[in-house]
Amino acid sequence: MKTTEPSAVAPGKSSKPSTLITPLLAVLLILSLAFVTKAQDSRIQLSSLDHLAAKASQTVDVNIDERLVKIAARAFSDKDIDEKKIKDLLTGVKGVYVKSFEFETDGQYSPADVESIRSQLRGPGWSRLVGVTSKKDGNVEVYLLFQGEQVAGLAVLHTDNRELTVVNIVGPVDLDKLANLEGQLGIPDLEIERKPKTKSN
Amino acid sequence: MNDDYLWDKSGEPDPQVQELEEILGSLRYQPKPFEIPRDVPVSTRRKYFPLLAIAATLLVALLVAGVWFRMRTSNNSQPQQARVPEAPPAEKVVVPVEHEQTPEPEKNNLVINRKHRSRPSAVVLAKREREEREEALAAKEQLMVALRLASEKLNLAHRRAQGFPANQIKNQHRVG
Repeated sequence: MKTTEPSAVAPGKSSKPSTLITPLLAVLLILSLAFVTKAQDSRIQLSSLDHLAAKASQTVDVNIDERLVKIAARAFSDKDIDEKKIKDLLTGVKGVYVKSFEFETDGQYSPADVESIRSQLRGPGWSRLVGVTSKKDGNVEVYLLFQGEQVAGLAVLHTDNRELTVVNIVGPVDLDKLANLEGQLGIPDLEIERKPKTKSN
Repeated sequence: MNDDYLWDKSGEPDPQVQELEEILGSLRYQPKPFEIPRDVPVSTRRKYFPLLAIAATLLVALLVAGVWFRMRTSNNSQPQQARVPEAPPAEKVVVPVEHEQTPEPEKNNLVINRKHRSRPSAVVLAKREREEREEALAAKEQLMVALRLASEKLNLAHRRAQGFPANQIKNQHRVG
């Protein structure tokens, strides 16, 4: 009996870790996959800028998730050429998020506010397509998230003395089509570019 | 003569009593197991009566359920069949729904019956449709603002990257 007991226990002891390792590995794999997919998600967290709304003279806050994009796409007409263009552009788009703040005086937002956005755009997959720095006219940066050869997201960051704008489009975006939309949409002019510029601080 | 014999069979018995005793003795109780005679007729119908009653109840219940189900399905299918030949079916479904919400006195019995049947689903559908339409329009407006802003910023970046002043290009674009 004594000789058989250790041999009977030993397989049990050795099988316990092996049975635990497999689910553990599976969980780790799932977690890592979830982490990778989250890292590859082209949505930027813009909530860190919410506190600027109290200081801003004009705020544009747009949060349109995938469900709303699909609902809105149905409202665009196929007969109207401009609306058809937008409808085509929205194909595959999973979200459109905008935060734009205009201030009456300079220095209402801090570099940390801009950094909270920029740090996300330094993440994996994102690459800066355009970066224009001007003391007079502010900075404009265009970022694209690539998944393989495909564009999976767009982010535009515009900072001026009296303006901070972040545009984030989640999903495949045709930049040419998007750029060509300017001046074609029958919506009120925001006059963001034509507002009086002031000296940099 | 002693009557003790009549009480407890003690003493000298009376010959007449003894004679009677012998005559009636053949009828005295003799213990033996109870046996039902085989020739007694037993009615077998009573055994099946409860089963028959249960079966009949189930049958009636099934019949009632069948009739109810058929009536229900025929009620549901009637409006659908009636709507098909109507010329503009989509509008006709929506329009009476809005009339239903107003507390208007009902006039036609046939119309009342049809309305009563289709009221809950039609009201809910119309309300849902209206809400979806409003939501879609609101989302569309927001989306257009967002896309315009995105387009402006993209063009701004593009122009600045090429070294042209933004306002100059924008004005040219608008004139052209």
